[in-house]
Amino acid sequence: MLRISLAAERLWTLWGFPISNALLTTWIVMAVLIVFGVAATRKMSMIPGNVQLVAEMIVGGLYDFFNSIAGSFVGQFFPIIGSLFIYILLANWIGLLPGVGTIGFYRALEQGTSPEFIPLFRGSMSDLNTTIALALVSVVAMQYYGFKNLGAHYGKRFINFKDPIMSFVGILEIISDLSKVISFAFRLFGNIFAGEVLLAVMAFLMPFIVPLPFLFMELFVGLIQALVFSMLTTAFFTIAVSHEE
Amino acid sequence: MEQLGIEPKLLIAQLINFAIIVVVLQKLLYKPILDMLNKRKKEIADGVAMTESMRVEEEKFKLKQEKALEKAREDAMEIIEDAKKQAKEVEKELVADAHTQAGAIIARAKAEAEEVEKQAQVSLRKEAIALATTMAERLLSSVMTAKEQHAYIAKRVKDLESWSNRL
Repeated sequence: MLRISLAAERLWTLWGFPISNALLTTWIVMAVLIVFGVAATRKMSMIPGNVQLVAEMIVGGLYDFFNSIAGSFVGQFFPIIGSLFIYILLANWIGLLPGVGTIGFYRALEQGTSPEFIPLFRGSMSDLNTTIALALVSVVAMQYYGFKNLGAHYGKRFINFKDPIMSFVGILEIISDLSKVISFAFRLFGNIFAGEVLLAVMAFLMPFIVPLPFLFMELFVGLIQALVFSMLTTAFFTIAVSHEE
Repeated sequence: MEQLGIEPKLLIAQLINFAIIVVVLQKLLYKPILDMLNKRKKEIADGVAMTESMRVEEEKFKLKQEKALEKAREDAMEIIEDAKKQAKEVEKELVADAHTQAGAIIARAKAEAEEVEKQAQVSLRKEAIALATTMAERLLSSVMTAKEQHAYIAKRVKDLESWSNRL
């Protein structure tokens, strides 16, 4: 029977530290990114080779794209927003590869129960730990850039005793920023997890041909979610650094 | 939380993972690639600026060349005009000289012709007188005495002289 789990499955425990299948996939994504980074910039030249050309297209294209949103602040924001986009996109697409969610082993989750299938790999973004971590990075970095660029003046966005309305607006701003963590995390998790469930159900019902259109749709969803997350982050960063009373 | 799979240790691990990704990508990918793109952009901009300055220089050179050509053409035209003027003056001088020389030749020829005519007239008169004298002597010797002949001849010579003067 098809087994769907909201939580990422724990594979092993290493010195008390849990290794989940989503974490293992994250390490693979990281390894791919590092290898690509090294390969692209190992022999840099004015006339680029194939890998350098692809890297230039991706990085240059992203930089120009985010420049259209963040303007002169893009240089400050790019390491985080560029990484968010590339990491989320690659993690989403790697999550669609054959073997992710299907290669695994059987193990009894609790003593006395029958063994259950534990997949070795799971899409990184279909684990709430990953998406909450990214959402936290996004919201904390937003505050960091706000204080860095506006100084103490940025604090007036949250704490302002000029008049009762502004004080109330400050409280709303705090709630709004906290809710951004939840909205960021659950939007990304929900979309990717739902996609994986959809693909799993389709493959369970009809293993051939039928899942294909859904697979293409999930490729597209993966791109859109990476774009939405990074674009929203850029927009919030830009609002934070240009905040006025 | 457990149902959702949220586990602080995994969450922190994912935070660290992302921090590693940001640092590594910034060092390995973004910085070198963006530096290279900026360097290439600068080189292209320099190349375009150099081409533009060369184009401007070329235009200046062309303009200078055209001016020099125009000046050379004007100088040449001036030289030709001067030469033409000089040639005309020389021509005028030559024609005037030729006219003068021709007038002198004609005058000299006229004078020579007149002289020849005068000489011819004188010799003709002398010959006529001599001939008439001879004829008259021969004719009168038969009918007149020597004294009458001389008187008659003297009278006729006078007549001839007055006749020749009338010619």
